[in-house]
Amino acid sequence: MEAYISVYDVEKYYGKGEMVTKAVDRVSFNVAQGEFVGVMGASGSGKTTLLNLLAAIDRVTAGHIFYGETDITELSDDGLSDFRRENLGFVFQDYNLLDTLTIEENILLALALQSGAKQEVQRQCDEMLSLLGIADIKNKFPYQVSGGEKQRCACARALVNQPKLILADEPTGALDSHSAQVLMETFVELNTSKNATIFMVTHDAFSASYCGRILFLKDGNIFHELVRGTKERKLFFQEILDVLSLTGGIYYE
Amino acid sequence: MNNKHLFTILAFRNMKRLLRDYLVYVLTLMLVTALMYAFNSLIFQDDLKAAIGTDDGWMAFLLVLAMGFIVWILAWLVRYMMRFIMEKRSGEFGIYLLLGMKNQMIFKLYQRENAFLGIAAFIPGLFCGILLRELLLAVLYGMLQIDYRLRIRFHGGTFLVTTLCYAGCFCLAMWHCRRKFRKMNICSLINARRQNEEISERHQKAKQLLFPISVLFLLSLRRMITGLDNMGKITLFLICLVLAIYLFYMGLSAWIVCYIRKKGAAIYRGQNLFLLRQFASKLSAMQFTMGTLTALFTLALMGTTIALMLNAYQTTALVEKAPFDVQLYNADIHKDFSREFALIEREVPIAKSHAYHIYTDGNDQVNVWMYTHLETWGAMFLKEDGNPDLEKIRQEQIAYCAYDTYMRLSDYNALRLMLGYEAVSLGEGQYAVHLKRRLHREAQNIGEGLEILDASETKALQLAGIYDEPFSQDGHNGGDYLIIVPDAVAARMKPYYSELVVKLKGVAPMGLSKKLEALSVEEKETWQSEYDVLYSACGGSDNFFNCAVANLVRDNALSAAKYMLVSMMLPMVYVGLVFVCVAVTVLSVQQLSDSAKYRFRYDVLWKLGLNAAQVDRVIFRQLFAYYLCPVILAIVISSMVLSVSRIFVSITGLSAPYGVFFLYGTGLFLGVYLVYFTLTYVGFRRNVSGRLYTFSII
Repeated sequence: MEAYISVYDVEKYYGKGEMVTKAVDRVSFNVAQGEFVGVMGASGSGKTTLLNLLAAIDRVTAGHIFYGETDITELSDDGLSDFRRENLGFVFQDYNLLDTLTIEENILLALALQSGAKQEVQRQCDEMLSLLGIADIKNKFPYQVSGGEKQRCACARALVNQPKLILADEPTGALDSHSAQVLMETFVELNTSKNATIFMVTHDAFSASYCGRILFLKDGNIFHELVRGTKERKLFFQEILDVLSLTGGIYYE
Repeated sequence: MNNKHLFTILAFRNMKRLLRDYLVYVLTLMLVTALMYAFNSLIFQDDLKAAIGTDDGWMAFLLVLAMGFIVWILAWLVRYMMRFIMEKRSGEFGIYLLLGMKNQMIFKLYQRENAFLGIAAFIPGLFCGILLRELLLAVLYGMLQIDYRLRIRFHGGTFLVTTLCYAGCFCLAMWHCRRKFRKMNICSLINARRQNEEISERHQKAKQLLFPISVLFLLSLRRMITGLDNMGKITLFLICLVLAIYLFYMGLSAWIVCYIRKKGAAIYRGQNLFLLRQFASKLSAMQFTMGTLTALFTLALMGTTIALMLNAYQTTALVEKAPFDVQLYNADIHKDFSREFALIEREVPIAKSHAYHIYTDGNDQVNVWMYTHLETWGAMFLKEDGNPDLEKIRQEQIAYCAYDTYMRLSDYNALRLMLGYEAVSLGEGQYAVHLKRRLHREAQNIGEGLEILDASETKALQLAGIYDEPFSQDGHNGGDYLIIVPDAVAARMKPYYSELVVKLKGVAPMGLSKKLEALSVEEKETWQSEYDVLYSACGGSDNFFNCAVANLVRDNALSAAKYMLVSMMLPMVYVGLVFVCVAVTVLSVQQLSDSAKYRFRYDVLWKLGLNAAQVDRVIFRQLFAYYLCPVILAIVISSMVLSVSRIFVSITGLSAPYGVFFLYGTGLFLGVYLVYFTLTYVGFRRNVSGRLYTFSII
């Protein structure tokens, strides 16, 4: 399968002198277009740092990250901003919806920043609202809807600009089990029907079981990788639990 | 370590945090303390009164009045800030309650923190005040043209008054907070935090109508003000004005929300949607505060503008009112002024003098023309059919003598030369008019309405010209006007009253006018006159300050007048400055607090693809709109209200139009505003950008 995103020997160190912390240590992997990749690991294993590097929010200490032909480690700050705007979509654990904007306006804003024509912007927004099943709450403010609905709004905002990659950081972390299940099904739906490429960091084995492939991180290194292939989700879930039990941490949400 | 000690340490540490988080508030407290000390010291400035030669308490009275306003606004600010900080720290207080602290204990802790904070601002403020006092006195003495030697002094009385006022404000605010603390419980604290996040958007369609209604009201202010002729109308007008200010914000917020809901084209462009929503949300949550700030800005702007007008008046127009060093009036047409002359000569050497008469022909055609043609009088002395209401003019005589006032050309030229003006010549059959400068434009056509007869009373004289140099026309050389006629024409008229003008070789000593006044009283019983202008209104149409005194000694009169004007001006500047600082502090604290609480919003924008410079621009635009809104409204309202002060310009003769003073006032005001805006912008950026590059979700 052709690499859509390529990560080569990426390192990220924090601190100076003897106080250096290796958050990510010579990590390499590829992500194919339309792939749904999960990253798991204990706290402090470097999951979020890796996500930040992929998201062009943080800069690598060494190594390269290619999105197609573009090496984002070579881009300027302004170039990174443009890159984020044009290529990436974010879904966060705490939703990060703007509280002064309605559900619809949160999605519209992401489109407006791309400067499209009014009719086209509105059409894309409406399409995304109905795709994510939140059209009936579009005029509500984030504080007026449930956590699951907020997260679906965040997904819609992440997707609306048709990004090359959706980055999700613990997207089910603040959701109840039912909402978490609905959200993960939504991710799978987006992945299959829209061919969206998703890179998700999670603690939760249940959420991870929806992924096509899982990278296990420990002390900044990828120490294991699981591929779902044609396996049933329940079987894949069990495999994840087995890996986690071997590393000394089982995560149930 | 006992509990009390622990509490003091905790309070002190919290105070240090407050100092950092609310630096703008602390700086304002320092500034207000410094201003209070400096201005309060003027109340005790007895040597100033001695230097002016007055013993009235006019300045002290106005300063005490201003102090009342300052204490009121300071108490409001302290109370506002205490409640604001309480709300922001509701979570922290909730934790204290959870840990088992009693409400009373938390209140005491908060009280100590605020006491420390108050003292931390008061002490440096006091030192600044001691320096500011010297600066203020130097400026004040300079304005009054009295020598002043800078000397750093501490004044016990001033310190006591300032401390009492300052501490009183804090005690009052504490007392208010105490009630809030008593009612405080964990549940309400948690609810308070949640309520902060809720946005109420009910009845927006109806509310948006308030926007055009209030704008219409504000735009028609000028028209309304001119129609205010009784207390009932004024009260109603003020109530409507206050309502319009407050409802404006409610209406504007609703109008923006409706615009967004209607999906106006602007929301699809860049960050407009974010900015509009931020602005509408802030206006909606802060409409009462914004209304109050607008009212404060309006008062500050008006105060500053009026103070500038008074300053211009005292430096220009006032001096023009008394061009002669000494000018004496006497109703006795046979008066030779020998005693007065001797008295003046004893006090100060005389360079030149001239005694003369003002004449009258026993008619009032010029008076009638003035009453019916000057803007000052409007239609007051016109009948419904447009003809002069002669009965009313002759009955009321509110500005001019009973009869027209004339001067001989020879006397006129003698006076002109004494003042350094060029002599005037009149041809055969000609006359001239000398007017106050401010009336020149209005009285361009005076010649067409008058019929001044020649010496033989058979032929009308022609107007040769109108002159408008300062000429003491508040009753001495006529009221507002003088008709200058050839000596032969004056010979057919009767002397109206006597005048003496003197040019001195030095400065008139303090009290000379009182000595001359004593002479007049002494002589009062010895003569009888057909016309006594002293007891009729001949002062002209200047209503603001009139030099219609019989014995006018310029140096004495101007010192007293300047003292009076400065007494009015200083409290206005004082109150205006404090009002602006207080209002801008509230704006700044609100924004800086929001920047800390809602910085995730800017994080989101950054993650959505805005670069750091674009986020900075968003912050700038947001702050700019937020700061601009109350100030624009205040400028509109005060410019409308101050347009009435054109009357001030017209009655005083100030050369610059009122708009110039308004612009200067606005400039000064915006200067202070800019300082606070910059502080807020820098602080806001620091709060937000400190987080932008540290993406930590977990």
